[in-house]
Amino acid sequence: MVSAQKGQVRVITGNATGAYGAMLCRPDVIAAYPITPQSEIAEQLAQFKADGVIDSEFVEVEGENSAMNVVLAASVAGGRVFTATSSYGLVFMYDALQETSGFRAPVVMVNANRETPGIHAVSSGQQDMISARDAGWVQIITENDQEILDQIIMAYMLAEDNDILLPVMVNYDGFYLSYLAEAVEIYQIEDVDKFLAPLKKQSPRQKLVPGVSQGCGTHGMEMGYVEARYKHTQAMERVKNKVDEIDKKFGDYFGRYYGGQIEEYRTDDADIIIIASGSATGTARTVIDAKREQGIKVGLIKLRLFRPFPAERLIQALKGKKAIGVIDRSICFGWKYGPICMELKVLTQELGSVPILSYIDGLANLDITIPHIGRVVDEVNEAAKGKPYQDVTWIPMEE
Amino acid sequence: MVIKHKNIFKTQSAWSNADEKMLCLDTGSWRTSRPVLDKDKCNYCGLCALFCPPQCMNDMGDHYEANLDFCKGCGICANECPRKAITMVPEGEFTDG
Amino acid sequence: MVETTKKRNRVFDYFCQDEQFAGGVAWCAGCPMELIARLTPKVLGKNMIFVGTPGCAAPVLHGQNIGAWHRMAYLASVMTGVPSKATGLSRYYNRIGQDATVVCFTGDGCATDVGFQPLSGAAERQEKFIYLAYDNEGYMNTGNQRSSATQIGAATTTTPVGKIGKGKSNAQKNMPMIMLMHKPTYMATATVSHLEDFIKKLQKAKEKSKEGFVYLHLFSPCPVGWRIDSSKVIEVCREAVRTNYFPLWEAENGKPRITVNVANPKPILEFTKLMRKYSHLKEDGLAELQKQVDERYALLKTLVNAGT
Repeated sequence: MVSAQKGQVRVITGNATGAYGAMLCRPDVIAAYPITPQSEIAEQLAQFKADGVIDSEFVEVEGENSAMNVVLAASVAGGRVFTATSSYGLVFMYDALQETSGFRAPVVMVNANRETPGIHAVSSGQQDMISARDAGWVQIITENDQEILDQIIMAYMLAEDNDILLPVMVNYDGFYLSYLAEAVEIYQIEDVDKFLAPLKKQSPRQKLVPGVSQGCGTHGMEMGYVEARYKHTQAMERVKNKVDEIDKKFGDYFGRYYGGQIEEYRTDDADIIIIASGSATGTARTVIDAKREQGIKVGLIKLRLFRPFPAERLIQALKGKKAIGVIDRSICFGWKYGPICMELKVLTQELGSVPILSYIDGLANLDITIPHIGRVVDEVNEAAKGKPYQDVTWIPMEE
Repeated sequence: MVIKHKNIFKTQSAWSNADEKMLCLDTGSWRTSRPVLDKDKCNYCGLCALFCPPQCMNDMGDHYEANLDFCKGCGICANECPRKAITMVPEGEFTDG
Repeated sequence: MVETTKKRNRVFDYFCQDEQFAGGVAWCAGCPMELIARLTPKVLGKNMIFVGTPGCAAPVLHGQNIGAWHRMAYLASVMTGVPSKATGLSRYYNRIGQDATVVCFTGDGCATDVGFQPLSGAAERQEKFIYLAYDNEGYMNTGNQRSSATQIGAATTTTPVGKIGKGKSNAQKNMPMIMLMHKPTYMATATVSHLEDFIKKLQKAKEKSKEGFVYLHLFSPCPVGWRIDSSKVIEVCREAVRTNYFPLWEAENGKPRITVNVANPKPILEFTKLMRKYSHLKEDGLAELQKQVDERYALLKTLVNAGT
C-alpha cells in the first residue's frame, strides 16, 4: 500500500483537532450543541462550514439529546455522521445512545471527558465515559492531540465496517487535551479518502429508504429481542481484533502506530505494571523511565480500548507479572475499586493471585502528578515483594 | 455454547420487513354487531366509506359494503349515513359469524 | 330507490395511493386516529417515511419482530427523539437528492410534554418535515393519564374525580397557538369530521414541507378514554368544531386564517354531553370550560384579524 504523503503540521488544541478529524472524513451530517470543554469543536466545524471547507449538513441543535437523534437518523438512512459532547451532554443523550447502539448505527462521536453531574463540576474526569459504559458503544481513550485526530479516522474505519456496525466514542481528557495546543500533523484529505476507501467497497449496509417496505426499530418480541442483543454482543467481541488490525493498517499508511487495544511500554521484562489511560499516560511514561533508572523493573500499559474490555490482550501482557497498579480517573459506585481496576479484577482466574492495587486520582481537574505516579510505582513494587498493601487508595484524599 | 435458535432477523439489528412478513389481525372477530345496508335508501354518497376508521368498505359500484373480515362494528357508518340507510344489527342474528 | 349520484364522492379523488395498512390492525373500534393514519399515506402518496413513537400509534406503526402492519418505511423512536430523528432524515435525504416526505406521527403527550423541546427546536430551525400530532388529550395508550393537552375539568386516571378531586385543575396548553408563535412555514388544525378540510391541509402540508417546517394538530377523541360510544366519534369531532372547542384554522408563515367558519357556535354542553369524561361537571365546571373555549377563540380571532 502506498503510504500517505506528509501532511501539514499545525499547532492546534485538542478541540480543534477533533474538528479537523471530522472534516478529513467528510461527514454527511453533523449535529452539535455547545458544552464546556467541547464548545470549540462546534465552533470550529461551524467555521469550516461557513468558509466552505466542508459541505456537510450542520444542525445547530437545541440540546445534546437532539444532537444524537439527528445523527442517529442520518446514519440509519445511510449517511456518515459526527457529533461531539461531554459530561452532562453525554448523560442527557443517554436514551439516544442506547437507541444508536441498539440500531447498530455507525455513529462516531468525540467525548471530551468531564465530571458528570451528581456533584456539579466543570472539570476533567472520566466519570462521563464510565457512566455510559453500558450503552453498548465502543469506547476508546486517547492520550494526546495527534491521537485524537488519528483515532477519529480509525473510528470511522471501525464503525462502518460491515463486520462491526457499532457506534464509536472517542474520548479525550477535557481541559487537559481540549484546550492544550500541540503540534498535530493534519493529513491530506485525499490520503484519508484513500485510507477509508475500503469501506465503500463493502456491500452497502442496511439503510432506511422511503418507498422501501422496511422499518428500523421494530419491536423486539421474545426471541427477536434476544437475538438482536446476542448479535450486538458478538459484534462487540469482534471489535477487539478489529481495533488491532486497523491500528496496523493506520500505522502502515500514515506512519503512526498506537498498539491497538492497549499500548505496552517497557512491559516485556517488567516485574510490575502500571495501567493508566488518557493524558496521564504521558506523565506515567516519564515516571516509568525515571524508576527504571533507579533499577525498578516497571512497565506501563496504556489502556486505549475500554469498551469492549481488552481482556485477552491484558491477560497476555500481564502474564507472569508480580504486581499491578491501576490508576483510575473515575469512581465505581458499588465497588470500592476504580472502574478499570474493578473490570481487571474480573480476570482473577487468568491472572492468578497477583496483587492488583487500585488508585483513584485525577478527579475534578486535580492533576495526576509525577510524585503521585512515583508513589504508585513504589507501592506496587512493595506489593510485588510480598509486603502488605492497600487495596484501594484515593490519592487526593491522602494528601 | 451450542446455538439452536434460527435467526428471525436477516439484519444485525431489529428491522421489520413487510415484504417478508405482512401482519394482519382478525379484527372482524371483535364486533358484536354489523352494518346492514338498506339499498333502497342508499345514494352512494360514500360517507360511510370515507368515515370508516379501518377503511374496510368495498366499493360495489352503486353502494358500499363492509368487508366483514375487518369490520370492527364501531357503528360510525350507521351514525353518519345522512339517509339512515345503515343499521347496526347484533351478530347474534347471523349464522355466518 | 333514491336516485344515486352515480358518481363517486369527490373526496376519493384526493387519494393518490392504495391502502398501505393491513386490513385488520389492533386499534380500538371507532378510533379516529386509525382514520387519520390510514388516510394520511393515501393523500401524501409514495415516499412517505415516518417517525413513530410509543403511544396509541406505535403498536401498529412499528413492527413486531420482522413482521409489519403496513408497507411503509419507518423509523421508531422514543418520545424524546422524534423531531430530531426526522431532522436527521430530512437533512440527509435532501443532501443526496432522495425524494421523501418525512412525517412525525405522535400523540399529544409526546408533542406537548416529553417531546416538546425537540419539536420547538426543529420548528425554530424550520426543518423540512411534517409533524403530525393526533390529540386525544391525554396518554391514552397507557390508560388515560392526563397530559398538558388535557382540558380543565377532565376526568383522567391521574386527575380522577373523588371526594375532593374534580378532574384536572388547570387548563390545557394551547398547543396550536404555541406552535403558531414559532411561525412555521405552514401549520393547521384539522379533524376527521371535516374530511375535505383535513385532506386539503395534508396536501398543503406536503407541498410546504419542501420549504420549511410544518405542524398539523389533529383533534382525535378517544372513544375508550373519553367514554364515547364508538359510533359517535365522528359526531364528537363535528361538535368540537361547531362549539369552537376545536376551531379549524391554518397559518402560513405565522399568519392565521380560519378555514371552517362557525357562524353560531353551540354551547359547550352539546360537546360534553356526548362523552362521560365531563359528566361530573356541574354548572360551575361547565362555565369554566365554556370560558376557556371562548377566551381561546377570542385570541385566535384577534390574531386572525390582526393579520389583515
